[in-house]
Amino acid sequence: MKKFCLVLLLCLTTSLAFADDRFQFNGYIKNEIGLRTKEQSYLQKNKNIFELAAQYKLMEDELVLFGKAKYFYDFAYTKDKLDKAGHYMQHIQRTEWLRDLYLDYNKGPWFLRLGKQQVAWGQSDGIAILDRVNPFDLREYWQPDFVDLRIPLWMANINYAPKLNSNLQLLFIPDFEESQAAPPGSPFTFRSYTLFDNFMKSSAASFDINMRPPAKQFEHATWGLQWSDRIGDMDYTLNFLYGPYYTARNTTRFIPPPIVLPAGKFIVDRAFKLWRVYGGSFNRSFTNPGPMQGITLRGDFAWYNDEPTYFGDPNAGSSKGIVRWNNIFWLLGVDKYVITKWLVSFQYAQYIMEHKLATNNTFPAYQQVPLNSYTYGAQDRLENIFSLKISTNFMNDRLKPEVLWSFTDDNQGKVSPKLTYEIQDNLLFTLGWHYFYGNETDSNGQFRRQNQVFTQLKYSF
Amino acid sequence: MKRIILCLAAMMLVASSAFALDLEYFQVYTPKDGMTADEIMQIEYFVKYTKFARDAYLEGKAYFVDKSGSVREKETLRERITLGRKSDDIAYKDLVMFTSPQVKGLATLTWTYMNPKRQQDSWLWIPSLKKIRKISAANADDSFLGSDFTVEDILTRKFEDETYAMVGSENFKGYTCEFDKKTYFQDTPCFVIECKPVRSPWYYSKRILWVDKKTGGGIYEEMYDSLGRKFKYIFKDYEIYKVDGKDYPAQVLLEGKDLRTGHRTTIINTVIKFEVGLSEDLFTQRALMQSRW
Repeated sequence: MKKFCLVLLLCLTTSLAFADDRFQFNGYIKNEIGLRTKEQSYLQKNKNIFELAAQYKLMEDELVLFGKAKYFYDFAYTKDKLDKAGHYMQHIQRTEWLRDLYLDYNKGPWFLRLGKQQVAWGQSDGIAILDRVNPFDLREYWQPDFVDLRIPLWMANINYAPKLNSNLQLLFIPDFEESQAAPPGSPFTFRSYTLFDNFMKSSAASFDINMRPPAKQFEHATWGLQWSDRIGDMDYTLNFLYGPYYTARNTTRFIPPPIVLPAGKFIVDRAFKLWRVYGGSFNRSFTNPGPMQGITLRGDFAWYNDEPTYFGDPNAGSSKGIVRWNNIFWLLGVDKYVITKWLVSFQYAQYIMEHKLATNNTFPAYQQVPLNSYTYGAQDRLENIFSLKISTNFMNDRLKPEVLWSFTDDNQGKVSPKLTYEIQDNLLFTLGWHYFYGNETDSNGQFRRQNQVFTQLKYSF
Repeated sequence: MKRIILCLAAMMLVASSAFALDLEYFQVYTPKDGMTADEIMQIEYFVKYTKFARDAYLEGKAYFVDKSGSVREKETLRERITLGRKSDDIAYKDLVMFTSPQVKGLATLTWTYMNPKRQQDSWLWIPSLKKIRKISAANADDSFLGSDFTVEDILTRKFEDETYAMVGSENFKGYTCEFDKKTYFQDTPCFVIECKPVRSPWYYSKRILWVDKKTGGGIYEEMYDSLGRKFKYIFKDYEIYKVDGKDYPAQVLLEGKDLRTGHRTTIINTVIKFEVGLSEDLFTQRALMQSRW
């Protein structure tokens, strides 16, 4: 909080000192309320957020310093219902308050962005296929905007354009942050976390949990490479990412007590395995007359090399270990305006897991089933994922309804209608609903008792 | 003698047709008495899309006023580079960035092609995703950014989209702007042209357009529905900018009103610059990606 106040003070002082074209700032104050509508209704969220961003042009557009700070406080976690998770959910943690702080250098074909930032790859909307450069904050599942979901990292983002409309991007990321998930007792705690927490609480044994972040060595840094270009009317990228997987994979060992006593020790190693992503993306709008005119096609393809994947017993909801598989994730999206101002956006994706059993012969086959890491339920080796978004506007863009339906072939999914109304300049009000359905072992189905009506009131300045 | 006059007339017609069909980029054209409606409209489109200038830089404010008088305001920054390049069919590229707080950072890059049948290509920088999204061309009859102008009023309507008939030549009676209450273009000599859309049915059945004889800019238009009822009007004020010894007509104020809803939009271009030397590198996805907001 002290740091945040310091940054705020710095920004305000700077704004007074440099009240000219070289200095710009922008920010917002936002209140978000979430109310559980299923069964026992309670306030899941009453979050007040303050964000301030500022830039200073040191040398016109050639050298620019940019920073963004954010602070939130969630009053819902002061209530009995959620206070157990309050230490982790109630306010900004550690260095999360600093969202961006970087220096831009732009000259000729070169563009460098050095500092804390986020980088988004890929064409998919709401599904992270190539968008794996930054870790994610999933404490509210996948509901916030992606700009808030990504956890910024310190990196060197080096770009070179050898010709018009092309770009070669090299990312060197010595920084590491773990992807975040809600702790037990939060509205959107993953079932796998709750199961493990229950296991710890019910066990007489003690638990020794060891975090094993990647060593701070050059070879454990994350590296990314993206080539972007255009062939005819099609934009495409080729992507490569190498680095630690941002979500820890737990390996649990039991150490029996030296003499027969009702207790022993579980040693849990939380490791971040190295993996690689090879992939590409494309988009193309059909601009020439014909039946396809007005349609935009876009797609992502990724081959995940050595993706750490849990295996275990889905019926017991327990993991037995980790396999390093080569999995494929691809997506095709179609967008089109229909009937004047109705935008219809459809996506179809497939997550294809390597078809082989874990090589660990110490477990029977029923304990070698690939697991959904969110739920410890069985993970289909071929998962079909769909999403359909319809949006429009009324009253001269003042009222914007939107509905997003994302679902899989397992009859589980989420429907999120929302309505945004511009009350006046810079003041927006949003009313929406998240409706989850499916089995408790499915990604969305696990939250079927957490259906939520939400409101947002945002004032920008 | 009669034969000579006919011959001369035919030659003039051929010459004017050739002129009308082949307006060269980076030249300034003004309409002349005796031109056909088609020729005048070619110049009108040329002026509308500033094809006379290699580039243009505009900062503007848009005011959205509803029937009750409630006003909303948006600020934009717009850059355009005119290319007229046959090798890759690019006519011009536009970059529109929103600078008002609520939508700060939102930016659209649009490429317009020389082939009149081809739709535009558009990319959108979405601050809430920190991502560029290729977007489908918005339908031409959709509202342009929530204003009372349609997408085709501002961006996409082309000479080939309508047929034209000369109604006559008259002094414009003047337009009193609702925004600043000033009366513009009173007694200005104009061509009056009837424009009918090729598409049918379409959201309007015809436009009656007043084209300023001095600049070739369309200063006022009335739009009619299929039952012949006037449902919208659009006014545009032009100022002449002297650049490198040439007179560039630039739109400084636009006002459109939907007579069915009573909603009005006024756009004022507060800063206008031509020939500032914009690089084509600014009109790429990489430039969008550099957005900090």
